[in-house]
Amino acid sequence: MRNKLREQVVISGVGCSRFGNLLETPEIKGMSIQELTASAVKEALDDAGLTGQDVDAVFAGNAMVHSSQVPGTYSQLSKWTGTQFKAGVHFEAQCSTTNVGAAMAAMAIAAGVYDTVLVYGLETTRTKVKGHSPYEREPISHQQTWLWTDMAVNQAYGVPQGYDIFSTYNGLVALGYCRKHGISIEDFDRGMFEVCRTRRLHGSMNPKANIQEKLEDRAARDGFGDPFGYWQSEEHNPFVAWPSRLLSLVTTADGASAMVITRADLAKGGRSRPVELKGFGVSYSDLPWYGEDPTFWEFDKRAIDAAFDMAGITAADIGYLHTHDCSHISGICTAETIGYLEAGKGLDAAREGRLRFDGDRPMSTHGGRHAFGHAWGASAGTDTYEAVLQMRGQAGPRQIPKVPDISVIHTHGYAMIGTVIVLGSL
Amino acid sequence: MQNTTERTGAIAGYYEGLAAGLFRAIVCKSCGSHTFPPTGCCEHCGSWDVEPVELSGDATLLFATHNISPACHPRFEKIAPYVYGHLRLKEGPIVQAIILGVDATPGDLQRLFERGPVPAKAETLQMDDLPVLAFRISN
Ligand SMILES: [Zn+2]
Repeated sequence: MRNKLREQVVISGVGCSRFGNLLETPEIKGMSIQELTASAVKEALDDAGLTGQDVDAVFAGNAMVHSSQVPGTYSQLSKWTGTQFKAGVHFEAQCSTTNVGAAMAAMAIAAGVYDTVLVYGLETTRTKVKGHSPYEREPISHQQTWLWTDMAVNQAYGVPQGYDIFSTYNGLVALGYCRKHGISIEDFDRGMFEVCRTRRLHGSMNPKANIQEKLEDRAARDGFGDPFGYWQSEEHNPFVAWPSRLLSLVTTADGASAMVITRADLAKGGRSRPVELKGFGVSYSDLPWYGEDPTFWEFDKRAIDAAFDMAGITAADIGYLHTHDCSHISGICTAETIGYLEAGKGLDAAREGRLRFDGDRPMSTHGGRHAFGHAWGASAGTDTYEAVLQMRGQAGPRQIPKVPDISVIHTHGYAMIGTVIVLGSL
Repeated sequence: MQNTTERTGAIAGYYEGLAAGLFRAIVCKSCGSHTFPPTGCCEHCGSWDVEPVELSGDATLLFATHNISPACHPRFEKIAPYVYGHLRLKEGPIVQAIILGVDATPGDLQRLFERGPVPAKAETLQMDDLPVLAFRISN
């Protein structure tokens, strides 16, 4: 394949809702899924200085239709977003949805078909439609969330025979990492504590994050002077797949995100500073996601190589990185595969504070899947949203001091589609 | 002429095999590799020229962790938390499955981890509504 974009493509507008629970979280409490999505779309269109009538096509992403119940999303959302009569499609790539949408938009624009595409994603993983009500919602049970979510995982042989995300994505990867690099379980636990502490710090500085409380403050609330004591307590942070603990995992959320993608020459003189979409790579795999070495995922490597080739970058060029971190240890492994972190040294880097917004290897400054939260089909767009803010110098208290020129965003669409996009300053 | 004889699909055939203590796969006539559990196509080279084969059930357990309780799937609520492992089969495929012969406690799993890779043997674990693949290790 030629792996080239024939025209320069940019992200000219981004938007993102508060992540949380439509039944509880102040900024989004009482919103319908239509209004939640429209809020993210409005922010992105305003950012680009456009209305819904200025775009040529709409790619509407939603993965878990069981809880959202808005298939045919393009038309059901069209009057809420001002996009009547546009070209459009409802699509999903699970937790990579919105960034796969960005790649599809870039292809459509570079092919000369559309000038401007609106991509949005919406998801509710905390709440679902109550009965047949057009506006009332109710909580989703833990088991129901995973039964629906795991429909994206091998339904012939995987899920029916005892697969679960905790073992395969966390515990087995953790053990592979420890054995490969000669890391003790104790050192692993300390490193994972530091990764969580960093992500929670970032969440505490992000008014859109699901969890905005630092790990230290959470621990103090339960009487722990030493936050590592809280970390190690069976009551507050049990093993979900030994040696991986609960607080190294994703937190679920309702949320929406959006972006406007257009030709570089059309974005000139626009309302906000555009960011170039320099390249992307996509590669998928069924279970098992790895061979003998649980720390190396072939499909990720292929997606990384394709994206870097299209963008013409190397790991040394990266100023900001987000890797998919539903599982914190998997996210560290991916950063090492990319070459942003030294192999086997990712947890040391966390302990040294290097992964913080003000460290020399900043990662997931929005808080990642744990603190920012995870609304499957909407989340990749929030990763892109954060990267664009950082590259414009608009990230407020969590701004990376050396404004990144190149950002790389990696996501895992369950289960699995490795997706990498490369953003560059113009 | 299309063969219209009724036949068992690959998925049903796999679980019926498990019920009889057989571990059904396919082997590729083009590249010689195994696809397990079976589909109708070689997962390595994409060839459709494949034939059924039974695997030995001999394996090496590389890593073992546990799931959560209550289990994500109601089928496994009764046995959760259970041990879940990463294995290499003698014939080549990498498999993840329920592990029998070790308890789902941090202490037991740490001792197992420190032993390194250990031999394991496939067996059928009969759940209420489905026979599933499991591997047993010995102390
Ligand atoms: Zn083959």
